[in-house]
Amino acid sequence: MSTFTITTLNGVSYAFILFLLAAGFSLTFGVMGVLNLAHGALYVLGAYFGLAIISQLDQFWLGVVVAAAGTGLIGLGIYFFFLRHLYGKVPEQAVLTIGLGYAFANIILWIWGPFAKMGLTPQMFTGVVRIGDLAFPIYRLVVVAVGVVVLIFLWWMQDKTRVGAIIRAGMDNKEMTRSLGINYGLVSALVFLFGAALAGFAGIMGTPILGAYPSMGDALLLLTLMVVVVGGTGYIQGTMLGALIIGLLDTFGKAYVPSVALFTAYVIFIVVLLVRPSGLIGRKVF
Amino acid sequence: MAALLEVQGLSVHFGGLAAVKNVTFNLEQGERLGMIGPNGAGKTTLFNLLTGQLKPTSGKVVFKGQDITHKAVYARTQLGMARSFQITSLFPNETVMTNALIALQGTRGGRYRIWGAFIRDRGLQSVAQEMLESIDLWDKREEVVVSLAYGEQRKLEMGLSLASEPELLLLDEPSCGLTPTESADITERIRALGKKITVLMIAHDMDLVFGVAERIILLHFGEISVEGTCDEVRANQTVKDIYMGSHKASTAGG
Amino acid sequence: MATQVRPAELFVGRLMRKAVAAPPVAVERRDAAALLKAWLPAVVILLLLLVLPSVVPSYIQSLVTKMMIFALFGVSMNILWGYGGIPTFGHAAYFGFGGYVCGILIIHGGVSNFWLNLVLVMVFTALLGAGLGIPAFRVYGVGASDNPIYFLLVTLAFGELLVRVAISARSLTGGSTGMSGIPYPDLGLPITINSHSFYFLVLLIVAVCLFVIHRLVNSHYGYALRGIHDNERRMQALGYNTWLYKYTSYIIAGIFGGVAGALFAYFGGVMVPGNMGMAMTDIVFLIVILGSASVYFGPVIGAVLVVGVEYLASVYVPERWPLIMAILIVVVIMVIPQGVGVLLFDLWRRVFRGRAA
Repeated sequence: MSTFTITTLNGVSYAFILFLLAAGFSLTFGVMGVLNLAHGALYVLGAYFGLAIISQLDQFWLGVVVAAAGTGLIGLGIYFFFLRHLYGKVPEQAVLTIGLGYAFANIILWIWGPFAKMGLTPQMFTGVVRIGDLAFPIYRLVVVAVGVVVLIFLWWMQDKTRVGAIIRAGMDNKEMTRSLGINYGLVSALVFLFGAALAGFAGIMGTPILGAYPSMGDALLLLTLMVVVVGGTGYIQGTMLGALIIGLLDTFGKAYVPSVALFTAYVIFIVVLLVRPSGLIGRKVF
Repeated sequence: MAALLEVQGLSVHFGGLAAVKNVTFNLEQGERLGMIGPNGAGKTTLFNLLTGQLKPTSGKVVFKGQDITHKAVYARTQLGMARSFQITSLFPNETVMTNALIALQGTRGGRYRIWGAFIRDRGLQSVAQEMLESIDLWDKREEVVVSLAYGEQRKLEMGLSLASEPELLLLDEPSCGLTPTESADITERIRALGKKITVLMIAHDMDLVFGVAERIILLHFGEISVEGTCDEVRANQTVKDIYMGSHKASTAGG
Repeated sequence: MATQVRPAELFVGRLMRKAVAAPPVAVERRDAAALLKAWLPAVVILLLLLVLPSVVPSYIQSLVTKMMIFALFGVSMNILWGYGGIPTFGHAAYFGFGGYVCGILIIHGGVSNFWLNLVLVMVFTALLGAGLGIPAFRVYGVGASDNPIYFLLVTLAFGELLVRVAISARSLTGGSTGMSGIPYPDLGLPITINSHSFYFLVLLIVAVCLFVIHRLVNSHYGYALRGIHDNERRMQALGYNTWLYKYTSYIIAGIFGGVAGALFAYFGGVMVPGNMGMAMTDIVFLIVILGSASVYFGPVIGAVLVVGVEYLASVYVPERWPLIMAILIVVVIMVIPQGVGVLLFDLWRRVFRGRAA
C-alpha cells in the first residue's frame, strides 16, 4: 500500500514534468501548426542553463528564470529566423528543427561535457513530509504544486481570455483572424516564445528528478509525442490527461514490472492511434 | 425496371446544421437530370454524398441495385459512377497526355503493374489519343496542365471524368467560368454523350440546364423544393421566386 | 485520324474495343539513339565506379562504398517522399532494423550466407512495414497537404520507439552500446570478401536495386503513386484505391531501406540503436532534399555530398559533425530548397541538349 502511494506521487510528479514539457509543444504544434522538433533539446538546454546558474550562484529561482528566459529567447530565434519562413512546409520544419536539436545537444556536449548532471534539490525543498509512515519528498510535492498552477493558468488563458480566443480562432482560420486586424504574426511569435520557455522551465524543474545529459532530447521528444497523441491537441486538458496516462503508466511499470516498463506506454500509444487518432480529448481531426 | 440510382432520405448534418435534408429521388438509365439551386443550397454536398467523399448521417444510396451508402469513393467509380469537379481537379504538374493516361488506367486492369514503362503503354496511348483528339487537346498533349487556358482545363476535366466509361456521370458545374462559346461547346458535348451514359448535372447556367436536362430538381436549403420537367420548372412560381431572383443577383455579381 | 466523329461515340464502347485491337498509332517510340542518350550518364558513372578502386587509395574506395549505401538509402526514401509525397520520418527505422536483422541473423541465428541473409532481411523489413504501416496511415488524411503533421510525428515516434526497443533487448542487440563484430559477407562462393571485393558487391547490389526502383517509379504503379501525390482526391474519383498504393509503397520503400541497412551493417561491422532513430532519419532527409527530391538521381548526388562532408568534418573538426550537419540543413532548406540535383539537371540539359530547360 505504501509503495502504491509513493509510486503514485512519483508518477504524478513525473506526469507534471511531462505536462510542462508537452504543454509547450502542444501550444506551438496544436495552436500554430508549426513543428518544433528541437523541443526536447530546449528542455535539456533549460536544464543546463539553470544548473550553470545554480552551481555558480547557488540561486535556485534565478536559475529557473534564466533557464526559461534563455530557452524562450532561443525559441523565439528559431521561430523568427527559420520557422516563420517555412509556414505550411511541415516536413521542412521538421528536418530543420531536428537538425537544430542535434546542434544544441552537440553544443551542450562541447561546453559541459558528456557526463550526466544530477540536479541537486534546492535547499529549501530538501527533506520529506511525513504522513503516517509514509515519507513524501517535498520537492516532488513542489513540482506537483507548480504544475497545477501552470495548468490552471493555461486553462484559464485558453477558455477565459481574449488571447486564448484569438489563438483558438487562429487555429481554425488564420486568414480570418488576420483580416479582423489581429497581428497574428506577433501572437504566433509570443506563443512560440512562451512554449519554448515552458520547455526550459520543465527542464530545470525536472533536473532533480530526471537528471540531465546532452543526448536526452530524443527520449524527451518521444515522450512528448506520445503525450500529445494520446491526449490530443488543441486543448490543454488533453495534454494533462496524456501526461498523466503516460507518466503513471511508465512509473508504475518501472516500479512493479520493470521488464516491460517501457512497453506499456508504447502499447497505449499505438492503441490510441488505431482507435482514436485525434487523441482522447482532441479537436477532431480524423 | 429498377432505377439506375435510387436516393432515399439522404441527410448529412454538420454540428447542428443540416446541409442536406431528407433528399429522395430516382434516376432512370439514360436520363438527363439537372440540379439547380442558389449558392449554398447543398448541391455539391449532395454530390459528395453520392460519390462517397462524405458519409451521410442518415439515408441510403442505391446504385445498380447495390447499396453503396458506405462504399469507398474508388469502389463507386469501379462500379460505374464518375464525377467532374466544380473547381478543376487535374494533375497540375503532369502533361495533358499523362493526365489522360492516369485517368484511363484507373478502371483498367494493369494499374498495379510495377515493371513496364507506363507512359509507353501502347494500348493506353491509343485510347488516350482518341480521347484527347475528341476534346481537341491532342496537339497540346505535351503541355503541362498548369500552362493550359482555363477553358482547356475544363474540357480536360470533363474528359477525365469520362475516362472510366461510367454509366452514371455526375457533372458539377461543367461550364463554371467558361465563355459563352465555350459553354455552348460543353453543352453540345454533353448532349452528344448518348443514351448509355446517365447524367446528373449541377449548373447555374440556365441555357446549359435547359439545353441538356429532361428533368430538373431544385435544391434549396438542402431539401428538394421543386421537381419536374423543363417546362414545368420554367413555369413554376416557386422556382422563379427562389432561384431566378438569386440567379439574376449572381450573374450581376459575376 | 477521323475528324468529324461525334465526341460521344469515341468514349462509349468503342474505346475498349479499340484498345484491344489498337494498331500502333502515332505515339512516342523510343529509338536506340534516344535510349542511349537517356541512359548515357548512368552508364558512364557505372564505368567510372568500376574503374575507381584501381586508381584511388583505399580510404576513398571505402568512402565511395559508404556513398553508394547511402545513395540506396536515399533513393528508397524518395519513393515515398519525392514520388508519393508521403513525409515519412521513420525511414531510418527500416535502415537500422535491416542492419540489426542482418547482424542478429549472423551472430545469433547462424545464417552466414549473404544471399539467404539478404532475403530474410527483406522479409523481416516487409513485415515491420506492414505492421507499422497500418497505424501510421490511420493518421494520414486524404492528400498529404491536409495532415502531414500527424503521420510525420507518428512515424518519427515509431523510429524512436524502435531505438528504445533496441536498447532494452540487450541479449539480442547488445543494448545501448550496440552490436559489433559483424563480419564481411560470406557469398557461399570460394572467394573471401575483403574491403576491395566488398566495394564491388555493394556496387552490384545497389545498381540492381536502383534499376529496380527506377522501373518501379516509372511503371503504372509508380505513376499512380505520383498521381496520388499530385491530387489524391481525384485519384480516388478515378477508381484508384489510394490507401493500398500508399501502404504498399511504404512497405516497398522499407524493404529497400532495409537492404541499405544490411549493407551498412557489413560495411562498418557495427550497429547502434541510434541508426534507427531521428538523427539518421534527418540525415536521409538531408540527402534527399539536398540532392533534389524531384529528380530520380537526386538522392544519389545528395548522398555523395553528405557522406563527403561528413568525412571532411571527421578529419578537420571531429565531434562537431552534428553542428556542421545542422548548418548544411539550414543552408539547403532556407537557400536552395529545390535541391542541387535540379540545378545540375538544368545545367546538363543546357550543355547537352542546347536548349533552355
